[in-house]
Amino acid sequence: MDDPNTDVIQGTLDMLILKTLSLEPMHGFGIARRVEQISRGVFKVNPGSLLTALQRLERAGWLDAEWSNTANSRRAKFYSLTRAGKKQLEIETRDWTRRASAIARLLKAEA
Amino acid sequence: MSLWRQFTRGLRSLTHSSQADRDVADEVNQYFEEVKAELMSKGLSEQDAKRAARLESGSMAQVRDQVRSDGWENALTSFAADLRFAMRQLIKHKSFAATAILTLALGIGANTAIFTVVQSILLAPLSYKDADRIIALNTRWTDTGHQSTRVTGPDAEDVRARARSLEAVSLYSGGQMGVQLRDHAVFTVVTGVDPDFAHVFGLQPIAGRLFNEADAHRAVLVSEQFARDNFGGSQAGLGQTIHIENEAVQIAGILPEGFDFPAKTQVWEALPERPESRSRTAFNYRAVGRLRSDVSLAVARAELNGISRRLEAAYPADNRKKQLTLVLLQQAMTGNARPTLLLLSGAVALILLIACVNVTHLQLVRSMERQRELAIRAALGSSRWQLMRPVVAESLLISIAGGLFGIVMAVPAVHALVAIAPKELPRAAEIHLNLWVLAFTLALSLLATVVSSLLPAYRATQVDPSEALKQDSSRGMTQHKATVLRNGLVVAEVAATFVLAASAGLLLRTMATLIARDMGYQTAQMLVVDADAPAHTMEDAQRVVRQYDILFAQLAALPGVEHVAGIMGLPTGEHGSNGYYKVKDSPRAAAGHESQADFSVASPGYFQKMSIPIKRGRDFASQDSYDNQFVAVISASLARQSFGDSDPIGRQIQCGLDSDNWMTVIGVVGDVRQESPAAKPGPTLYMPMAQHPFFATEIHIALRTQVKPLVLMNAVQQKVLETNPQIALHFTTMDAMLGSSIATERFRAALVSSFAGIGLLLAMLGVYGTISYTVAQQRFEIGVRMAFGAEKDRILRMILRHAVRLACFGVALGLASSLFLARLIAGMLVGVRPLDPLSLSTAALLLLLTAIVAALAPARRATRVEPMLALRAE
Repeated sequence: MDDPNTDVIQGTLDMLILKTLSLEPMHGFGIARRVEQISRGVFKVNPGSLLTALQRLERAGWLDAEWSNTANSRRAKFYSLTRAGKKQLEIETRDWTRRASAIARLLKAEA
Repeated sequence: MSLWRQFTRGLRSLTHSSQADRDVADEVNQYFEEVKAELMSKGLSEQDAKRAARLESGSMAQVRDQVRSDGWENALTSFAADLRFAMRQLIKHKSFAATAILTLALGIGANTAIFTVVQSILLAPLSYKDADRIIALNTRWTDTGHQSTRVTGPDAEDVRARARSLEAVSLYSGGQMGVQLRDHAVFTVVTGVDPDFAHVFGLQPIAGRLFNEADAHRAVLVSEQFARDNFGGSQAGLGQTIHIENEAVQIAGILPEGFDFPAKTQVWEALPERPESRSRTAFNYRAVGRLRSDVSLAVARAELNGISRRLEAAYPADNRKKQLTLVLLQQAMTGNARPTLLLLSGAVALILLIACVNVTHLQLVRSMERQRELAIRAALGSSRWQLMRPVVAESLLISIAGGLFGIVMAVPAVHALVAIAPKELPRAAEIHLNLWVLAFTLALSLLATVVSSLLPAYRATQVDPSEALKQDSSRGMTQHKATVLRNGLVVAEVAATFVLAASAGLLLRTMATLIARDMGYQTAQMLVVDADAPAHTMEDAQRVVRQYDILFAQLAALPGVEHVAGIMGLPTGEHGSNGYYKVKDSPRAAAGHESQADFSVASPGYFQKMSIPIKRGRDFASQDSYDNQFVAVISASLARQSFGDSDPIGRQIQCGLDSDNWMTVIGVVGDVRQESPAAKPGPTLYMPMAQHPFFATEIHIALRTQVKPLVLMNAVQQKVLETNPQIALHFTTMDAMLGSSIATERFRAALVSSFAGIGLLLAMLGVYGTISYTVAQQRFEIGVRMAFGAEKDRILRMILRHAVRLACFGVALGLASSLFLARLIAGMLVGVRPLDPLSLSTAALLLLLTAIVAALAPARRATRVEPMLALRAE
């Protein structure tokens, strides 16, 4: 068994959630699937970590949460981005870009 | 915003925990439903979809737990679980818990009690309106640094007129006085105050009105209590006429209960705005003022400095080097109590330290017993904090319980404190437990938690699982570091106790010195009557003196009375006076030196009655009347001070008590200690009552009795009232007066000694604990030694030597601290030096003995170790 690593890179889950929610309000499962789809299966999100992160982000004031019905009329907790959340996403994106490009440069130099 | 949200959400999930649980469960449920639905839409059966979802995402229960364990409130919940666990542990180890809790209760209780007093007296603001702007005016001499709480009338008047930073300045003076009512007279505190007084304190009468300038010497304000006691109520008292010093005054207003400034005043007599004493060298007044709301104390002080300099320029002789200063009234009122209270705070802080050390020690012993438990926890991967948590939780419970018991103990302690406190203790009536004190106690408990669990908790994290699990503690192979730590704690404890015991020794020696002191007069079997006869004119006063003469003869005839005499300026009494005097044809006086003495006005027979020896010349006699040559008797130190070796009899002396008449010295008597046993015997100038009638109306009548002095009270009272019903009386004994003159010293000595006693008890517990533990740990070793033929005596000596060594280290450390702390206590000592070898060596001996006694029981236990049993134990 030599499965490729599908763990979300440490410390980036928050950013991925914020980015996903910046398009539209979504429930937990929706977020998980969206991350998987867009990353083309590179990242798989573990529900325990995801729901914990959602609770934490809501407490931090970056997300709002509301119970409403899904398309197939199941009750679900929908999360949406607050204004503070948008700002946080910008900060994290900028930070990530900076670090990722640094790593990319380093790797290129090695090669 | 986000912090607030953290807090409220956390709180909501704590208080509505089932709701929060349901929310999470619903959300997790829905997630899994979605997963299942997705899989089923790909064609899986419901069963297979369920299994696949589980494979992919784990169990729902796991996910729920993970989500629910996030957030601060869950740390709290798990700490609560720790507390429950700690509670069970404490219940299981009852003797450990009880010892620790009681020890801390003792320490916290003592601190709570003393802090109650400190808070009520030093910290709580005075109960007057805007009390932080009320100041007291003082006089200070810049050359000597001497400071007086009194001011002269004209100086204070100038401050009132010129100081812009003061809104109002009020002068007052007074003291215990007789007040004549319609059918009786009472002794009470009467203070003459000017119309600004009410402004300074923001007073509002509960009935009637305040003074104005026209009321001077015509009106008084009285306290609600005075009106109730003497007239039955405020309204009944209003408008009544009473007599003070033979002046008829009318009660114009009633002041509310609780206001009794200064010094428990009950009657405030109206004085004119312009002070009647016009001398700039007679310090006849005290003064208070009110700062303007926009002015700081520093600015006001600076302004007063300027005014003082201008006054010095204007009156170069009278105001030389004289500076008017101000302090907050609260400081002025409580300043004298401060050193005593700080001493007591220091003493109880040491007690708490000792108590904490004991608890730390108990904790350490306990944490060693559960090293295995900790080791297993560590081996299973507990974090440092998780290892420390049970220790901290236990400490917290112990401290909180100790704090609660401490408060319970503090309540009676505060009552006892107030009961034995010296009368001069300011604001004693305001002392009570309050929220500040409770907050202090809570903080103290938390501090005790931290202090007493710091070391044990740290040690808990240092457990090396592999070592700890291998090591068998009953084999006597304890870690060396642990032993050093425990010994260090005992040394610290002994040192702190030594400091307490040594201070107690010094204060007790001071007391012993004071009690044993020769006062220069006889104090036993002496009834003292504080008598104040009203007199306003010279004729009044002379009549009173004649009445007193007759009265003394009548009182002397009472059965059980040996001698009777009258005196203004009885030692330790209230009515003394003092000042400068001059000697005619004296080279010293010519050189501009002025000499000071206490002034007393006495009746013939006073010296004999008090057993004050007449060394030369004669006593006053009936021929020394107002119309004859004025005479004086001087004390031996005055004779030495002003006449050296030459004969003072027949020389002329003058003082400013009431007249400038030259008085002929007719006798020399022995010295007395005037203020209290702590005072040095000093120069005193005695004058006959007949020649100074104005100072002979408010006197002490002293009766030497053959029976118990107070037995005669009724008979004496009857005789006095027969002679003059307007004389106000107050009875006491010389011994009681003497006792109250050293009340502060006694208070300090009694409290510090009891604290030292508590300290010794705790130190004994500490030594007992550590030696017992050592012995228990060394059972195996002792068994081996005995198996190889060591004698019991040797074992006993080995254990005792250990205890004595610890005590010696402690005493040495304590001695070093005492050397450092000695100067703090020096001001409170009389007749002993701060490094008094007797006190220090007694304290050292006491601690060594304590250590030996405490170690004796465990040491004997060690000698009874049966080698076979000890070796077979495992």
